[in-house]
Amino acid sequence: MQAETSILPVGNRTKQPLADDQQATLVSLRELKGIIEYEPSEFTFTAYAGTTISEVNQVLHQRQQYLPFDPMLVDAGATVGGSVAAGLSGSGRFRYGGIRDFVLGVKFLSGTGEVINSGGKVVKNAAGFDIPKLLTGSMGRLGVMVEMTFKVFPMPGCNQTLAVACDSLETAMQRMSLAASSSWELDAIDYRPASKTIFLRLAGPEQVNQILFQKISKTWGSDVTELSDGEAIWRAVNELAWTQPSRSLAVKVPVHRSLMGEIVDFASQRNGVDLHFSTAGAVAWLLCESQDDVDHLDQVLLGKQAAGLVVRGAPERPHIGSWPRTEISLAVKQAMDPVSKFPRLFHT
Amino acid sequence: MVTSLEGLASIFPPSRFVRDAANQAAFESDGLTAFRAKPRAVVIPETAGEVIAAVRWCHENSVPFVARGSGTSLSGGSLPVADGIVIALNRMNRIIEIDPDERIAVVEPGVVNQHVTDAAAKYGLYYAPDPSSQSVCTIGGNVAFNSGGAHCLKYGMTSNHVIGCKAVLATGEVVSMGGRSVESVGPDYTGLFCGSEGLFGIGLEITLRLLPKPEKFHTVLVGYKSLQAAGDAVSAVIDSGLLPGALEIMDALAIEAAEAAVACGYPPEAAAVLIVELEGPAEKIEHERKQLDAVLATTGHFAERIAVDEADRLSIWRGRKSAFSAVGRLSPDFLVQDGVVPRKRLGEALVRIEQLSRESGIRVANVFHAGDGNLHPLIMFDGKQDGALEKAEALAAKLLRLCIEMGGSITGEHGVGVEKRDFLPEMFDATTMAMMERLRLAFDPGLVANPGKMFPGTEAPTLTQSGLHPLEKAGVISRE
Ligand SMILES: Cc1cc2nc3c(=O)[nH]c(=O)nc-3n(C[C@H](O)[C@H](O)[C@H](O)COP(=O)(O)OP(=O)(O)OC[C@H]3O[C@@H](n4cnc5c(N)ncnc54)[C@H](O)[C@@H]3O)c2cc1C
Repeated sequence: MQAETSILPVGNRTKQPLADDQQATLVSLRELKGIIEYEPSEFTFTAYAGTTISEVNQVLHQRQQYLPFDPMLVDAGATVGGSVAAGLSGSGRFRYGGIRDFVLGVKFLSGTGEVINSGGKVVKNAAGFDIPKLLTGSMGRLGVMVEMTFKVFPMPGCNQTLAVACDSLETAMQRMSLAASSSWELDAIDYRPASKTIFLRLAGPEQVNQILFQKISKTWGSDVTELSDGEAIWRAVNELAWTQPSRSLAVKVPVHRSLMGEIVDFASQRNGVDLHFSTAGAVAWLLCESQDDVDHLDQVLLGKQAAGLVVRGAPERPHIGSWPRTEISLAVKQAMDPVSKFPRLFHT
Repeated sequence: MVTSLEGLASIFPPSRFVRDAANQAAFESDGLTAFRAKPRAVVIPETAGEVIAAVRWCHENSVPFVARGSGTSLSGGSLPVADGIVIALNRMNRIIEIDPDERIAVVEPGVVNQHVTDAAAKYGLYYAPDPSSQSVCTIGGNVAFNSGGAHCLKYGMTSNHVIGCKAVLATGEVVSMGGRSVESVGPDYTGLFCGSEGLFGIGLEITLRLLPKPEKFHTVLVGYKSLQAAGDAVSAVIDSGLLPGALEIMDALAIEAAEAAVACGYPPEAAAVLIVELEGPAEKIEHERKQLDAVLATTGHFAERIAVDEADRLSIWRGRKSAFSAVGRLSPDFLVQDGVVPRKRLGEALVRIEQLSRESGIRVANVFHAGDGNLHPLIMFDGKQDGALEKAEALAAKLLRLCIEMGGSITGEHGVGVEKRDFLPEMFDATTMAMMERLRLAFDPGLVANPGKMFPGTEAPTLTQSGLHPLEKAGVISRE
């Protein structure tokens, strides 16, 4: 049962499928913006939910700090609130963890309008339940986030991007796993099957990157090349814009190795689908041309009991594949939103 | 009416259903030895099925249960509920799988933290969270407490390394949260489960992320003439843009204790020592150590020791890792606190702690994870003296309030448990507390899972005298 006057909090609606609900009134937080507190020496900042990540980045970069998980859809206008609610992390997720690992505290309104102060403002805190993690990925369905505190890190000196040619999925999987287990301390490991290329990002002092580049080259010989337009590559991935704009539907699918082959086959069989793996193969990003592509992907995921989330475009519904329906998820929703002020968590 | 335990007994063979006082004694307390309670029975499951059956029985019969790993909780988390059941998970200690390609380990809850790293070592991988109790504490306990260690600044706490968890909830429902991918979609229930202190249910199968072992460490021990100078050095290191794996401080009293216990060779005149550890690819460490040298040179230290090899590195850490148990040499009993303050207020916090210590006439040694503002004041007392424990607890309370007042937290890694349950409402306002209570009820409407912990409660456990954890006395583990 949804309350008659149900609402859905939204930011800049860069993840439109999540920021939409037929029955709900959209409440925009985009004007609730600004950085409230930034303590470079604490590695923390607190901002209103509607603050754009690009504003945050600007301020952090002035002090040589950053959010290491590569926030997504930054150029598109993503807000901090929307990013947490969607639970999206880009390629940088690989090294230090995702957005879930960097949200320290969230002030939010529950379904009954109470103000809740969850988590804390210091980098280490184990008191009480970790509600900020629960809100990560809650898609505006568990509360209206108004203010959040993040952990930040010092920026590495320089980035360097390498391309590693891989003629098959097997080679790519084997090389990704070697890279991920190596002592090279890579910053990101992505893979694009259609271009038969693994992308590696080194982050650190320039001389050190150079030496590591030599080491990696020794491992895979002439398959390794340095890319001069590295930043553009990562940016395109994190903006979900590495292919033509007509592929407007963007789907996130958390995967593991036994699912990768299936996803690669699916993408190669469909003209309208482009595939990119980030986080050493832990996440598949699929950019699709049509709802028909999404429907087919839905079937593939259902067969594998895997879940997918459409985060861009105008799909019939954002939740595809198999989303476990548990008693506890209903009970948690009820606890956070006793009067059903927000839409259901998911429709499948 | 007292429920008969017959139904529960039928789930286990007699050897794993313990009711006699002698065999139960080991389960009556945990690392917070000041508290003790007698359970009605201890059950020792060997399979997930048995855990599930036991939890369902408790739920149906409204009998409280406490999950227990190795019982090293320092906040009374695994203290039994009087007349409840203890579900001891040590025999659920199988490492189900190590997948070097996906860099994950799937383990049962009773697996000891260090054993995960041991099993992963042949692939060049390790499990990053390293509480000082890692040679005995279990992954189930680590998950329940979102445990930390010396490397949290860079690598985060336990929850940053738990990507999936199958659990039986207090209602008997069995759920699978997260999975084998480090990413997920939808609300992060795995993250919520971490740190729930056994109040939501029992973890049955936990999927952990493994990391490649760093190629090189650079460990430096620096001596200062004042605690303030050591604190300032931490800020200088942080402000330089370095991200050390560990940044630890010990004060004079802690150094004295460590020296007496393990002859760690720390600079004798030091009012404080700082340990900084860099880790990563050899080339990067070569570069960063120069940066670190330059920063440290400006911090007015009077002694510096750089670990020349792995043995030397371990000897530097030995002093640090033994410090707490070593305090047992200075005092028959002590309480260890676990507050967090914003890093920039560390110096101020230490001055206040010293003041409070002087005012109350109670000695306090300080060891802390300086990089993330996590203080571990050790409050010394003699449990045989009347009222000494109460006085020590009163001082501990003041220290916790100090952390709250400074905008920090009442626990960085040891959890709320029984010990700090009355302080949670001082850290969180009433509506936030009410929300947490609602969440708890969502998982456990019958209040059978570890009642009396985390939330201020009615039933007060029995106070006895304090002291070292039995395993510390035996020299098996030491605390941080
Ligand atoms: C000498 C010493 C040093 C220590 N150093 C550190 C340190 O550096 N950092 C740190 O963070 N902590 C430290 N601790 C505290 C303690 O070791 C940790 O809290 C540890 O995680 C507890 O693990 P355990 O197996 O002993 O759990 P227990 O003490 O048995 O249980 C802890 C809590 O977890 C619950 N629990 C246990 N298993 C499960 C399960 N499977 N599912 C759900 N709930 C469960 C219990 O009910 C209880 O609430 C130290 C303790 C000692 C004695």
